[in-house]
Amino acid sequence: MAPSGAPALECRDVSVSYGPVAALSGVSLRLAPGLIHAVCGQNGAGKTTFARVASGLVRPNRGALFISGQEVATGNVARARAAGVELVHQSFALPPSFTVAEAMEFGAEKGTPIYSRRGLEARWKQHLENLGVRVRLRDRIRDLAVEQQQGVEIARALVAEASVLILDEPTAVLSPTGVEMLFDRLRNLKAGGVTILLILHKIREVLGVADTVTVLRGGKLVEGPLPAGDTTPQRLAHAIVGSAAEQALSGADEAALTGAEGRDLGASVEPVASVPATPAGPVALEIAGASTRADPEGPALADIDLAVGRSEIVGVAGVEGNGQRTLVRMLANLADLQSGRIALAGTDVTRGALAARRGAGLRIIPFERNTEGLSLASSLWENWSARQLLFGPLLKLISPAAWRRDCDLSLKQWDVRYATTTQPAGSLSGGNAQKLILAREVDADASLIIAAQPTRGLDVGATAFVWKSLRAARERGCGVLLISSDLDELFDISDRLIVMLSGRIVAEFRPPYSLSAVGAAMTGAR
Amino acid sequence: MMLKGRLITVGRAIAFVLLALILCGIVFQLAGYSAKEMFQSIADGAFLNPGAWKNSLRWALPLFITACGVAISFRCGFFNVGAQGQFYLGAIGATFVVDFMAGWPAFVVIPLAFLAGILGGAIWALWPALLRVRSGTDEVITTLMGNFIAGLVLIYVCSGILKDPSGTGQVMASRPVSPAFRISTNSGLSPTIIGIVIVVGVAMWLLVNRTAFGVLSSLAGRNPIMVVWQGAKLSRLGIAGFVLGGALAGLAGTIEVLGPNGRLVSGFLPAHGFTAILIALVASLSITGTAIVSLFFGGLAAASLYLPVLAGLPSAAIDIINAAIALFITARTVPGLARLAARRRASGST
Repeated sequence: MAPSGAPALECRDVSVSYGPVAALSGVSLRLAPGLIHAVCGQNGAGKTTFARVASGLVRPNRGALFISGQEVATGNVARARAAGVELVHQSFALPPSFTVAEAMEFGAEKGTPIYSRRGLEARWKQHLENLGVRVRLRDRIRDLAVEQQQGVEIARALVAEASVLILDEPTAVLSPTGVEMLFDRLRNLKAGGVTILLILHKIREVLGVADTVTVLRGGKLVEGPLPAGDTTPQRLAHAIVGSAAEQALSGADEAALTGAEGRDLGASVEPVASVPATPAGPVALEIAGASTRADPEGPALADIDLAVGRSEIVGVAGVEGNGQRTLVRMLANLADLQSGRIALAGTDVTRGALAARRGAGLRIIPFERNTEGLSLASSLWENWSARQLLFGPLLKLISPAAWRRDCDLSLKQWDVRYATTTQPAGSLSGGNAQKLILAREVDADASLIIAAQPTRGLDVGATAFVWKSLRAARERGCGVLLISSDLDELFDISDRLIVMLSGRIVAEFRPPYSLSAVGAAMTGAR
Repeated sequence: MMLKGRLITVGRAIAFVLLALILCGIVFQLAGYSAKEMFQSIADGAFLNPGAWKNSLRWALPLFITACGVAISFRCGFFNVGAQGQFYLGAIGATFVVDFMAGWPAFVVIPLAFLAGILGGAIWALWPALLRVRSGTDEVITTLMGNFIAGLVLIYVCSGILKDPSGTGQVMASRPVSPAFRISTNSGLSPTIIGIVIVVGVAMWLLVNRTAFGVLSSLAGRNPIMVVWQGAKLSRLGIAGFVLGGALAGLAGTIEVLGPNGRLVSGFLPAHGFTAILIALVASLSITGTAIVSLFFGGLAAASLYLPVLAGLPSAAIDIINAAIALFITARTVPGLARLAARRRASGST
């Protein structure tokens, strides 16, 4: 470990630009050893770029990198690793078909060319146990829960004697309990002398775990590193969002984003009285006694009864993997319905194909933005027009120019940032990609919108935008089914909350919500 | 932006073809032939000699039709490599009609022959499509195997039911098509054929660029999961693309029999379907690109007849050149193929 004088990681005047876009400009930062540091900011603020510079993945146009007081050549992963810096990626990079032991061996420096599974398992068992990662070494990576995958990923990063561990958005895929487990793990590592750099979105998480906080905005350092004890959620939120955008946040949204205290009492929750009285007519969605067969993608649903009224946002809480995905697939007619009945806006669609259900007003913001939501290699306008094109005759002549114009108008309304409608959807940032999906799925004819993790990985501004859009849909008389693993989000915008556990609906809550009661229902404690 | 992107794609394709040609030149030079003479005679045979362009066009037109079909099924994300077999079945179907309806008037027989040819090709694409959609059988395997079956069926009918009894015995072939039913002379160029090619070209261009089918099939080819979540019947798009591809290959087979070939010969044009796949890939599955690239490969086919005479090279040199181009283009399209493979895994449930 470096002497207390030398920072564990130091960047001097680092600038990175991708073409005309400056991702980082003139960032200088010194991070003291043996602490947990957080770097936060919006999407596109330069957080990930910063992590990549620090770990040698990106060579900055200008600036120098020091690790434990020693200058390290920039843009060289091998040098950065030799100096003790390890990066855990935002999306996990473990090969899904490998066993845990193989994944550990893969990338370890002193690997042997010929190995036996048994030998590998013996070799890595102790290492994983020391780090408190409880997995079976012969399980395949793809069969592990995300928390376990992340644990393995961290363990792999710590194979070499890492002195600085960088985690890019480690909480984005975790359930609330998983986040707590991760933080405990990080605190243990800190106690062992490892310096930790966290790239994070959520202010509450930052303040819950970090010793110092640094805020990036638009590629510039705007605050920090300052001790976490010296700042407040409000101050951080303002630093992250900037003064202009901040005014767009309503009080309750800000509370949800910052995870302000006192929510258990319901005191800071926006009065739900603003919800208009439910208009007469059939409910947006009615599921009666629905059960599905178990399939490889998730647990079976058992006897689901659920109604979503018009002008109602129903939140679905639950630890990930308890049937939320099956519920969405069942509504999309992509799961095997065994018994029960589904009606959309009064129309029975139990046997209806997805096209018929969409015709009855069903809209889906799916879990997986980049696979289920968009075709990344296809252009913006093709992605945007897919829903309407599917509804019309397939062989009728269309005018792509007219569709591109309509798409242009719509995307401008939804505040999507892009250069041209012919650019591939994969070139959009996460927030803009999600807005593209919203622009396609949230229209005047929608009667039920299923929003599955609609704000996962989005920055504060884009998250507030998604919430605003869902509320606006509710005001128009649309029902919304919101599936989220972020309880703050659910508490903030749900008119009603159900909890799923093992493929069943186990509890239902109305505001004001109690974190402890919902948490107990999620974990089956009651 | 869009134009620039397209220009880059085209430029890259040309660069790869040139690289393949240079590589072949080096190999032939090392093997003791003159690369300069080889390229000179290819250029002469394809385009420069008087009348060479007509010869190139004769080969290019049927290739273009088959390649359009390949491009459309690839765009849908269905890797139909059975164009050769579909081409044969089309030719067989057409020959049956002209052979058994010899006494009928041409205005009845010719349309029926076309119908039979198109149906023959379509049916030879339909069964792999159904196997793929119903039971997830890999269409690359089934269509490839289908080519061999079709080749054997061709030998079977040429040596049996359609056999020309006055034949020499050296080649197995059907009776020559009655002149009344021919749509061109042996030159392979006639208003009928050119008209058919123009109609097919325009229709396919419209289908790909100006219909919802075009947009959705291209989305499905790139990310079938997304299209499923939009409510599309992926299997229907796939069957449509498959069958259309087969129908076009069958149409090309019909044109060969009623046009330049004038009869069905066992084992004729054994590389037609594979060259068409190559054309579609070089053209990045664009219909306009397919038209241009067809001319180039038509030229190579025409030149292969000149090579033995002019450069003392075996005509198989053209096959080697084609193979080299295929190698380079495949290297370029590997990411695309990987996506197709991922799609096959991912869409197993639909």
